Amino acid sequence: MATVEKRRLAVSQAAGFTDSGRPGASRTAAMTESEEDFLRQVGVTEMLRTALLKVLEARPEEPIAFLAHYFENMGLRSPTNGGAGEPPGQLLLQQQRLGRALWHLRLAHHSQRTAFNNNVGVAYECLSASGRKKKPGLDGRTYSELLKRICRDGEAPEEVVAPLLRKIQCRDHEAVPLAVFRSGMLTCFVLLEFVARAGALYRLLEDPGLATADRRVGQAVLDTLEGALQASDDTAPARYLEAGSRLGPDSLALAMDRALVARRPSAPMTREEFLEKATALFIAKVKPVG
Amino acid sequence: MLSPERLALPDYEYLAQRHVLTYMEDAVCQLLENKEDISQYGIARFFTEYFNSVCQGTHILFREFSFIQATPHNRASFLRAFWRCFRTVGKNGDLLTMREYHCLLQLLCPDFPLELTQKAARIVLMDDAMDCLMSFSDFLFAFQIQFYYSEFLESVAAIYQDLLSGKNPNTVIVPTSSSGQHRQRPTLGEASVLEGVEASLFYQCLENLCDRHKYSCPPPALVKEVLSNVQRLTFYGFLVALSKHHGINQALGALPDKGDLMHDPAMDEALERLLPKEKRH
Repeated sequence: MATVEKRRLAVSQAAGFTDSGRPGASRTAAMTESEEDFLRQVGVTEMLRTALLKVLEARPEEPIAFLAHYFENMGLRSPTNGGAGEPPGQLLLQQQRLGRALWHLRLAHHSQRTAFNNNVGVAYECLSASGRKKKPGLDGRTYSELLKRICRDGEAPEEVVAPLLRKIQCRDHEAVPLAVFRSGMLTCFVLLEFVARAGALYRLLEDPGLATADRRVGQAVLDTLEGALQASDDTAPARYLEAGSRLGPDSLALAMDRALVARRPSAPMTREEFLEKATALFIAKVKPVG
Repeated sequence: MLSPERLALPDYEYLAQRHVLTYMEDAVCQLLENKEDISQYGIARFFTEYFNSVCQGTHILFREFSFIQATPHNRASFLRAFWRCFRTVGKNGDLLTMREYHCLLQLLCPDFPLELTQKAARIVLMDDAMDCLMSFSDFLFAFQIQFYYSEFLESVAAIYQDLLSGKNPNTVIVPTSSSGQHRQRPTLGEASVLEGVEASLFYQCLENLCDRHKYSCPPPALVKEVLSNVQRLTFYGFLVALSKHHGINQALGALPDKGDLMHDPAMDEALERLLPKEKRH
């Protein structure tokens, strides 16, 4: 038991962090020489430190799952660190490239602009690498597939994101430059967050028993949202999230009050309809490609 | 769901929320314990398997008690594993004693403390006849409350004791190992006219407790629900109510509803593949 405590403290110190709430953190015993040597020799200390820094940079919702994927990818990438290693470049399948690019794209939240842009760059390179039957560069078809996959994994309903994809997709054999790729990725991730927030907003409006919201109230919220979005001339996608959050509780409350007071019979508005309309407001602002 | 708040937390708080360091340190310990089996290039794969097993909840099998109780996720995973491994006990309608359930627990965790099993049994049995028989579902749900909310129950017991003896419930209570659950039934001589404590006052104290403490508590709204149905209640009456509350069980997320306890199609499928036809029952 004591040796376990000693190991834990040494690992924490090695990684540069200590968890001050835990018992045993005040002990200063060191790991046994051979154990420390072993860990350093096989590169575990460095591996964990890097992994921890990645976790802190990405701040994922599920850090343990993130770590599992992180080590899995590490195993795939280099033969010296585990796994079979990457098969010779030209045999790497489309799906693996997409998976790898997706993993890079998810490492940092889009609001952490520098980290996100770096990761976009790496993902672009990964997708553009030449293969045996593949010329270097990113083609429209792969780009479209990536966009669809991101939206699917982000649990955004297809009908909701289809209009966006139509706007920013490129033709199948067109070459997609980095700038277009970067802007497309950013728009996509911002949209997913927008959909998630709209969903959360809908949950506040819906009647738990009926699983629908009052149409008047739903429409009033959408109108207020549209007003907030139109007020911002800026075309940067992330600004729309800010505009949405600037929807003061006062203006929302007023709109909802007015809607309920009007003496019209109420009809239900489903979650799908609400999301479609909210997303349409966002997509209307997106500049089409080409 | 996306929660942008996590992006603003300081590093150590973010990590502490999901016990990331606990799992990383345990991963290294496990690695060191198994280092003969892992060659140079198996490290990343080892960590992959370790963290995957944490996600799936299988990481607690056959581990020491101190690890099993280290995080809420570990406790929930252990409860779930216990249910899945031994639900056939319930299926056959067998009734077991506390000691027999303890043996089952020790199969999954060799150093599981008897004291904890005893406390769980007391919730079901409501008296000191500790060799009475219990059904699987009764024991399981009582055990869940006792094990998952151990620290919370210690504090609740101390609060209950104070309320019984008429002390001011708002003084800070530090439960010692001798307080609480041993002494909570008054002898005939010192019993007040009414049994137990007043429910609304009890709830106020518990609400304060949930605010003050960092360890897991049942959702205060549901505790309120439990306490709003009665005027007065005893300590074990309260625990029984907690263990039978569907909402609390769902909020915890480890076990299915009582009605679905025997229903585990994934496990059934896996067993069918393992057992030869004539041995299946």
